[in-house]
Amino acid sequence: MQSWQAQQSTEATIVEISAELQRQQRSLWRHRLRQVQAYCIDLLLLTLMLLMVEFLFVAFSGRRGPTGLLVTPEEILDLLHYGWAVSGGAFLALLWHLGSNALGTSPGRALVLGVPEREGHPPWTHTLRGWFIALMVQLTVFTGWLITEVQLVTFLTQFSKASDIVRGLLHPSSSVLHQGLVLLVQTIFLAFMATAFAIPVAFCLSFLAARNLTRDTFLLRTAYTVVRAGMNFTRAVEPLVWALIFISWVGIGPFAGVLALWVHSIAALVKLYSEQIENIDHGPVDAITATGASHLQVLRYGVVPQVIPPFLSFTIYRWDINVRMSTIIGFVGGGGIGYILKPRVDLGQWGEVGTLVLLIAATVWCMDILSAKIRERIV
Amino acid sequence: MTEAVRVEGLSKVFPNGVRALSGVDLSVRQGEFLVIIGLSGSGKSTLLRCLNRLIDPSEGRVWIFGDEITATEGSDLRAMRSAMAMIFQQFNLVKRHTVITNVLSGSLGRSPLLNSLLLRFSDEERAQAQAYLERVGLGDRGGSRADALSGGQQQRVAIARALMQKPRLVLADEPVASLDPALRHSVMRHIEALNREEGMTVVCTLHDIDLIERYATRVVALRDGQLVYEGEPTSFDAVTFRQIYGEDAVMAGSTVD
Repeated sequence: MQSWQAQQSTEATIVEISAELQRQQRSLWRHRLRQVQAYCIDLLLLTLMLLMVEFLFVAFSGRRGPTGLLVTPEEILDLLHYGWAVSGGAFLALLWHLGSNALGTSPGRALVLGVPEREGHPPWTHTLRGWFIALMVQLTVFTGWLITEVQLVTFLTQFSKASDIVRGLLHPSSSVLHQGLVLLVQTIFLAFMATAFAIPVAFCLSFLAARNLTRDTFLLRTAYTVVRAGMNFTRAVEPLVWALIFISWVGIGPFAGVLALWVHSIAALVKLYSEQIENIDHGPVDAITATGASHLQVLRYGVVPQVIPPFLSFTIYRWDINVRMSTIIGFVGGGGIGYILKPRVDLGQWGEVGTLVLLIAATVWCMDILSAKIRERIV
Repeated sequence: MTEAVRVEGLSKVFPNGVRALSGVDLSVRQGEFLVIIGLSGSGKSTLLRCLNRLIDPSEGRVWIFGDEITATEGSDLRAMRSAMAMIFQQFNLVKRHTVITNVLSGSLGRSPLLNSLLLRFSDEERAQAQAYLERVGLGDRGGSRADALSGGQQQRVAIARALMQKPRLVLADEPVASLDPALRHSVMRHIEALNREEGMTVVCTLHDIDLIERYATRVVALRDGQLVYEGEPTSFDAVTFRQIYGEDAVMAGSTVD
């Protein structure tokens, strides 16, 4: 009996030692992976630095393009030596990694692996990393200024050219008021229907998109990945693009707008809902499971009561967002007030545009107050 | 007497590498009030949760009234769970439901699915729930929201929920640890009644020595996931206390030299 027990305990020790060795091996690989990550970040930063320096050098060198004029930012971007910059960046990053004792920790290392204790916490002016980051910020601002063609003087002196529009907006014409009000009602209902249709779909999908409820079986884990990926894709596509798709599908009109906002709302609500589900207190779930309840009963008693108030609050917020979005949807033919706003902008009927803009602003303002009040009450 | 719980070679290693239980053997006789003691992190909660499979053990087997729960899945597992109630340190009531609905949720294991999803229960169940609420002294609070009640009242609702399951075994995980000391006995007495009057077997984790002496019929102790002590609650002295809780621990009420 004694020797059997001793043998068992030796076996247990061997198992534990091998597990420990495996863990160490894994952590070694993890460390190497992190070093590669750090190097890649440094490579990226240094390459960007070289590219921005070259960009500024070309921009200020007075070089002339094919038309004989000074080269434009787009032409400079075409001229840059990307291959050379990457090799230079790779070389500099390698240099910094090898000489990290003398040069101090590189930004990539600091980000991924942290700064080693022995370097202490010197002020940024005492480290190469600090100066490098400062230089990068400056370079980014200068390059950005040139690429986006910022024209401060024009902005400050040429206001008069836009004064017609502003005058029109400040003197709304009443001719479009009646039509505007009618379409405003349509806009609000459009947003409402899109939100209402989105609720049941998002509600069901959100349980599959919550990590804490989808760990148990392979099927659930697969469903989680599929739902998450699908929703991320749907959310990444702008509602405007969805509107164009549905306009070709069901024709110009408010229903296309409803569908466009519906799809986008589902994706947005699933994200918000599932995050709420992931944040629930797990105690009631345990308690209901312990009574011998089935999965659906556990969801109904353990999860749903905890998430109803935040769900309501998010849904009302979504309606609010949909009212704002439906204006833009109307621009491309998805119904609502945007539908009559677009041609008036194109024709420069600024007085009528002013009326419509004021109507939209008033609605958004009311929705904002209303949704804030209701959400305050619920939570 | 027959065995209510039998545990053989129970081990649990969590995915993060923490070993909560290693090779626990335990037997609980029917009608016992077994108290499990030990430091926080000694594996008491894990052991209780392995009994009704809220946690799946890594190794070992567990029998409840002769049926092996570690070899049971699906609806059979749920049926076994509904025959054993659990009481939690944090009460774990559904806060936004009414008190009576919380008590009724104890009958979920035998309720028709569709009705229970609509929060509909039969009149007999409702009458039964009301009777259990009266029994724990909360007959007039059935309509209140659960989170409107004090801690001690919430734990009594949890006891009524446990009663509603009509269990043969009650697992209580630190049932009074988050209650005011003055209220501990009132809750413990209700759990004792489950044991004495209803003949339910109770497995309970506790911290306070005076509660152990008062309520337990047998005590076992866990230290670092292993069973280190087993005996009568009265034979519990300062030496065994140190053995369980470590050299630095001081037994409440004992003179320290």
